[in-house]
Amino acid sequence: MPVLDLGLIFRTSPIDPDLIRGKSQPLFPSGVAEGYWLKQASMSPYAGSMYHGSPLLLSLLGPLTVQRIKGQPSHLFCSLVFVIADILSAMLLRGIGHKLQMAYGLNARLLGLLKSPRDKEGILPSGDIAALVYLWNPFTIVCCVGLSTSPIENMAVILALNGAVTRRVPLAAFGLVMATHLSLYPAILTIPVIFLLGYGLDAPPLKLFLQTRNVESDNRSSTSSASKQAKLKPTAHLPFLWRTVVHFVFWVLVWSLCVLVLCGLSLSKHGGLEEMFKRTYGFILSIEDLSPNIGVFWYFFAEVFDFFRSFFLIVFHVNILFMLLPLAIRLKHRPCFLAFIYLAISSLLKSYPSVGDSALYLSLWALFVNELAVDMKFSFFLFCGYLGVSLLSPVMHNLWIWRGTGNANFYFGNAIGYACFQIVFVVESVSAMLNHDRALKKCNPNHQEVKN
Amino acid sequence: MKNLTLVVMLLCYSFASSSGDSTIHTNNWAVLVCTSRFWFNYRHMANTLSLYRTVKRLGIPDERIILMLADDMACNSRNQYPAQVFNNENHQINLYGDNVEVDYRGYEVTVENFLRVLTGRHENAVPRSKRLLSDEGSHILLYMTGHGGDEFLKFQDAEELQSHDLADAVKQMKEKRRFKELLIMVDTCQAATLFNQLQSPGVLAIGSSLKGENSYSHHLDSDIGVSVVDRFTYYTLAFFERLNIYDNASLNSLFRSYDPRQLMSTAYYRTDLYQPHLSEVPVTNFFGSVMETIHTDSAYHAFSSRISNSKIKSDTPFNQPFNQLSEQDVKEDLQNTNNQNDELKTEKQKCPYSEMRADLHEKLKKIENVDTMVNLSIAVMILVVMVSSSLL
Repeated sequence: MPVLDLGLIFRTSPIDPDLIRGKSQPLFPSGVAEGYWLKQASMSPYAGSMYHGSPLLLSLLGPLTVQRIKGQPSHLFCSLVFVIADILSAMLLRGIGHKLQMAYGLNARLLGLLKSPRDKEGILPSGDIAALVYLWNPFTIVCCVGLSTSPIENMAVILALNGAVTRRVPLAAFGLVMATHLSLYPAILTIPVIFLLGYGLDAPPLKLFLQTRNVESDNRSSTSSASKQAKLKPTAHLPFLWRTVVHFVFWVLVWSLCVLVLCGLSLSKHGGLEEMFKRTYGFILSIEDLSPNIGVFWYFFAEVFDFFRSFFLIVFHVNILFMLLPLAIRLKHRPCFLAFIYLAISSLLKSYPSVGDSALYLSLWALFVNELAVDMKFSFFLFCGYLGVSLLSPVMHNLWIWRGTGNANFYFGNAIGYACFQIVFVVESVSAMLNHDRALKKCNPNHQEVKN
Repeated sequence: MKNLTLVVMLLCYSFASSSGDSTIHTNNWAVLVCTSRFWFNYRHMANTLSLYRTVKRLGIPDERIILMLADDMACNSRNQYPAQVFNNENHQINLYGDNVEVDYRGYEVTVENFLRVLTGRHENAVPRSKRLLSDEGSHILLYMTGHGGDEFLKFQDAEELQSHDLADAVKQMKEKRRFKELLIMVDTCQAATLFNQLQSPGVLAIGSSLKGENSYSHHLDSDIGVSVVDRFTYYTLAFFERLNIYDNASLNSLFRSYDPRQLMSTAYYRTDLYQPHLSEVPVTNFFGSVMETIHTDSAYHAFSSRISNSKIKSDTPFNQPFNQLSEQDVKEDLQNTNNQNDELKTEKQKCPYSEMRADLHEKLKKIENVDTMVNLSIAVMILVVMVSSSLL
């Protein structure tokens, strides 16, 4: 697509990463160069305080941070890698969107909302839109140029979702294992991925299909397992494809074993796997680094007493965990949307949020334009909010740290505002999706209307 | 026989009495530190400037006074009497007269700089006026005032000097023979705790209050709007204003002059590290500068050997062997821990599983290029993913 090419050209233009990294806020926890240097000096890459990522990433990206071509800006190879990662993510998003769009059209026809298979009016190409949103999101561009490792983490997550949606089990397992390995939080995506593999793609609730079946009299051939079951059995139970899920678990184990063995190998001289777990997952869970970021935890943990620190750590991590089950129960018929909500919640409540995470979930939101775009109420407010926060955030950071005329509260107020907007966004998306399902239920008896 | 024993005893006695004091008292230094900033801490500045005026009046020249003031009260925008600092509401004495040399001012008064002054470990560019160039014959008066607490003294509202820091610095000074006798006078709340950790001989310390007691200001000057002097310093000054340069008042009389009822705290002094009797030590040993004068009618000749003995020893011979020692120690410690680790590993090789693991570890250690192997494996992994995802 020509638009994608435009995105590519824009990305490879020589934007100076130092300008962004130096003057702007610390969105970019990239200590890859330091970790690599320490490794070359035969020390553990975790000996410095900057690198807290995976040793595999270090051995892949490390040499790239050092190589230079004369006449080109430094870190050119690194930037190229991130650009390629972003383009791959966009293409994978397009694939996911394509599948979702097909499923949407199919379900709409089955529910009698669309008259013929040719009637594609009004269904937006969510895949293309999502890919464009991802590529052209200023957050993604800033992350790519600022040399953070977010593009690679985002690519792993999108890989997992793509594999699950296109039913390529080893790919999904690989993506999930890599995403969890790089940062801890994508582990919660196991639930939507298992739902995707077990139940199939996003579809309106089963009850709607049963109602349709009761109203309609003629047989239609269809490929959705949900509607087949609805035809065969009067009771409302979606079949769960255990074979695929077991297959998936097997592949997850295989890939995790590979990853652990490789990490153990590369860290054999520097403390082994325990050191790695302590420094990567332990670092994420214990929030040792209190340097300012776009999240809200650094401010809180800077002033909490040591006595209460572990209590609050548990509270904040359980905050993510206890939302998983109710959402899974409510949204199990829409596993892709569930993945989006999980990602949004984890990027809101994770230990070290960055704008790369919001780049990811904003583009995943775009996959659901067909269902959400009509119902979302505060879209303009949220758009202005996101824009305002992202513009003010570097300003407040500058005022606080470089000029000294502001203080931490300026920047933290911004971060709170950002968190509030994210919360409103998540809540609105979920309620919009549920409203969409309810609206489907309402207009189902009058299935002559075409619903977009 | 009796005469011999007498002579021997005399020798021993002279040895014992001069064992620590084989040097003679040659000069006096004063380090006066005010650690508080902000207008409402006017009195701390006035305290320090009052002491400065006193020691100058009693003879210590500016070259041997290090005055550290953390803030500028004389030219503060809230000062109704610009360039004037008073320690009494009668405004009789302007402490900030024509002849005040402040060595460390404003933000230069930090714990680091204070400790550098005491220990003499400055960077190369620090001028002489900012250095405490005392030697082994010096008597040093160290006066500190500000806000303090249990074993600490607050500097600049941002950091604190702890009692063990002070004790360490004094210990270093003693090692480097930077003083013969040291009088530490502290006017803060719970001042006596600040010299709890002192252990070096030749140190005399007095604080304005005990642990758990506050030190109070003396009176409020309603014209200036803040308290202008603290009680302990006020009564110290009252004692000194009665003196002149030739008086023979002893430290004992100074310390006895503090009345706990008037001070509203207990001025506590510590003499266990200080050998001479307080009643025999004149106050001018610390607060003034009385030099031994040699009256001569003839023209100026070369210095006598007595004075040339007390040269300042340079710092470098002390520093270098210390550093080398520390590096060697560190290396030895590392080697020791490595040896211990190896020993622990050999002990665990009893059950076959751990033997296998140990073999694997050794093989892995022998593989030199782990990184390329890891990279290759990652590439293989990605290939497998692509192949399997296209097939399945």
